[in-house]
Amino acid sequence: MSERPEKKKTGVRDAEEIKQILGVVSTEIPGLIKSIIASVFSEEAGKSMGKAAAAFYKELKDGGMPDAVAVKMTEDYIGVFTSLGDILKKTGGGGKLQFGVGKGEHGEHGVTAEVSEEVERRVKQRLAERRREEDEDEEEED
Amino acid sequence: MGRSLLIVSVISGAVNVARLLFSLFLIYVTLGWNVRKAKRAFEKELIKQGMPKEDARRMSAKYAALKDEALNTLKRSVRIFP
Repeated sequence: MSERPEKKKTGVRDAEEIKQILGVVSTEIPGLIKSIIASVFSEEAGKSMGKAAAAFYKELKDGGMPDAVAVKMTEDYIGVFTSLGDILKKTGGGGKLQFGVGKGEHGEHGVTAEVSEEVERRVKQRLAERRREEDEDEEEED
Repeated sequence: MGRSLLIVSVISGAVNVARLLFSLFLIYVTLGWNVRKAKRAFEKELIKQGMPKEDARRMSAKYAALKDEALNTLKRSVRIFP
């Protein structure tokens, strides 16, 4: 019988907590996103990136590189910035970064399988050591 | 007492969610404008250093394409958590 008012109390407390969380999220998240976007897509960011690419292009030209080659190399240089999108794609695609997955030098599951095997081995070793210590303690007590 | 507190909490939570969605929508709307400005500044710097206009325009288009890639990635990540 006394469970009901307590349930009610915790429900109100939960709602209050959710309200507070939403209050913080609704103010902090847009600011965070805005600053991330501004670091890549703002007049200043464009200008500084353009300056970097232009300096690269100018150096190539001053070094006697043909125009077409200089342009191609500058394009590749800019590609480094834009390839960040590919990295995001890879991380977003699987939900997590994958190291060496696929059939290769490390077998079908790659590095992750090796790491998990090693972790499993160490955990088993630790458990065995602990069990042995406990057995020894019990024997001493007897 | 408890019920009214609960109602107030739910209403203010809904207001916060609406505010968050509105802010995100505003960011989405202004993103295009920001990208255009950044693209123009980028192009200007390249032309200033003597790059042909056509090439500068092609490179700035590549820079602006980053926005679409980022949005596509975001959409894909939203699709992962239906």
